[in-house]
Amino acid sequence: MAAKGWPVCSKSLKGVILDLCGVLYDCGEGGGVAISGSVEALKKLKASDLKLRFCTNESQEARATFVAKLQRLGFDISVSEVFSPAPAAVAALQQRGLRPHLLVCDGLLSEFDSVDKTNPNCVLIGDAAEKFSYQNLNKAFRILENLENPLLLSLGQGKYYKETDGLSLDVGAYMKALEYACDVKAEVFGKPSSLFFQSVLNDMGLQPHEVLMIGDDLVNDVGGAQQCGIKGVQVRTGKYRPSDETHQTVTADGTVDDLAQAVDMILSHRQ
Amino acid sequence: MVDLSDGRRRLFRRSKAPFPEREGAGFHLSLLQTSCCQLVSIMASRRALKAVLIDLSGTLHVEDTAVPGAQEALRRLRQASVAVKFVTNTTKECKRDLVERLRRLDFDVQEREIFSSLSAARSLLEQQQQRPLLLLEESALEDFSGVDTSEPNAVVVGLAPDHFNYQTLNEAFRLILDGAPLIAIHKGRYYRRKDGLALGPGPFVTGLEYAADCRATVVGKPEKTFFTQALSDLGCSPSEAVMIGDDVRDDVGGAQDAGMLGILVRTGKYRKGDEAKIAPPPHLTCPSFPEAVEHILKNLLLVE
Repeated sequence: MAAKGWPVCSKSLKGVILDLCGVLYDCGEGGGVAISGSVEALKKLKASDLKLRFCTNESQEARATFVAKLQRLGFDISVSEVFSPAPAAVAALQQRGLRPHLLVCDGLLSEFDSVDKTNPNCVLIGDAAEKFSYQNLNKAFRILENLENPLLLSLGQGKYYKETDGLSLDVGAYMKALEYACDVKAEVFGKPSSLFFQSVLNDMGLQPHEVLMIGDDLVNDVGGAQQCGIKGVQVRTGKYRPSDETHQTVTADGTVDDLAQAVDMILSHRQ
Repeated sequence: MVDLSDGRRRLFRRSKAPFPEREGAGFHLSLLQTSCCQLVSIMASRRALKAVLIDLSGTLHVEDTAVPGAQEALRRLRQASVAVKFVTNTTKECKRDLVERLRRLDFDVQEREIFSSLSAARSLLEQQQQRPLLLLEESALEDFSGVDTSEPNAVVVGLAPDHFNYQTLNEAFRLILDGAPLIAIHKGRYYRRKDGLALGPGPFVTGLEYAADCRATVVGKPEKTFFTQALSDLGCSPSEAVMIGDDVRDDVGGAQDAGMLGILVRTGKYRKGDEAKIAPPPHLTCPSFPEAVEHILKNLLLVE
């Protein structure tokens, strides 16, 4: 590995971006559970001189809701530090005069309060979970089929994530289903979109090489960050699978057991 | 005048019948160009047509109406010394349902003569001794009776609006990640229902393929194995069989890719110009099923 590689690069780091689900906690029934050592690890990071942001593709709940949930699990986190796809999509919808038909969880709807949803001219899907019924998908499909230029927007394109009872399909699977049915390519908000990572960097006021991304999703967290010039480290928690370490297209700058180990390695290199 | 393709000429070359091709001047010209010596070798290598595969919807009938003359044509075909099988892509109709509909339309058809994409999926499961999770409609399950579905280690996806929901798709996804093969009855994007267009199995298969990083095995027409499986219990090779259908890619193209002859009928879903969409072109394109049978009886069989 190059001299500036992980974990030596920690010396010159100015900021860290953390994914949430699968890094801080495992999501699932009743708000999920904190991953062992991650509450403590986040405290240590916050106490350091590193800038910190959270970058999630969470699209089941509004930011205020899941941030409150994380606070209840003991995490020191606030809404202003969190970047999620829905606000990014709302900005684009308003800018482009788009009126979406929404296929998202009820919990996310409040993020779209300010958006005109009458007479839809596009379909926007998030991780709708239980709402991914045949009827609802069919409705989205028919709206797209009736548009002269079918436009599908997706909050992330994750393949799956880990819930407390096992792996579950993420929005990406349903995005691909609609893409195939309508022969269109979706516009993706959130990770791994470079625009999304760039907006986080802008908010931090940092350059890509000064920042490290830590996530459990090799393609969206690590791969997405690397495309922007940000180093990406994968944790062996959440949706991590051993086959990730021999992935054909994405190689993480480093792989660690969990967030606690990552933070200890970063901080020890900065002493 | 019928159009001749390479496929047709292939069969003709194998033929030992003295006058396999009767209509048109083309034949006489080609006969004159054939030396006696060549004719002897043609006769020696002759393999007669042994089986005819027939598509159902769009070929024998269009919705609830039989193609005019099709019942009589089928009777005539059955009098010839050739095996007949009915092959169809269906995700929701079991063989019994298919036979019932055909009999209502006065077609003489037995259940054992039907080979559908559901039959193909079952054959594949049995070959590989797998226990499937079946995402199929109630009406299709009959064709899987007796198949062990406990502790599934394979996933079969047909058209199953009742099963295309978050829980069931997650269950299928987890099995696939654990190594279960994904078997698709077909990958149709959508179909027409009385209340409008509706999503077919394809989108859900594609979503699972993406999430689990896998490729589904598609079992229906136009897959080569579909045609070879349909012929397997007839003891005949693809070169000894002909397929009649209205879908230029799924019926005719698929059959010809498997080594059979393909006859395209201009009924059902046929659209003008379809015959130009595959290479090599159909062995024959004709107005409807009776003309296809006529061609087979006249030109592809030994005259006793």
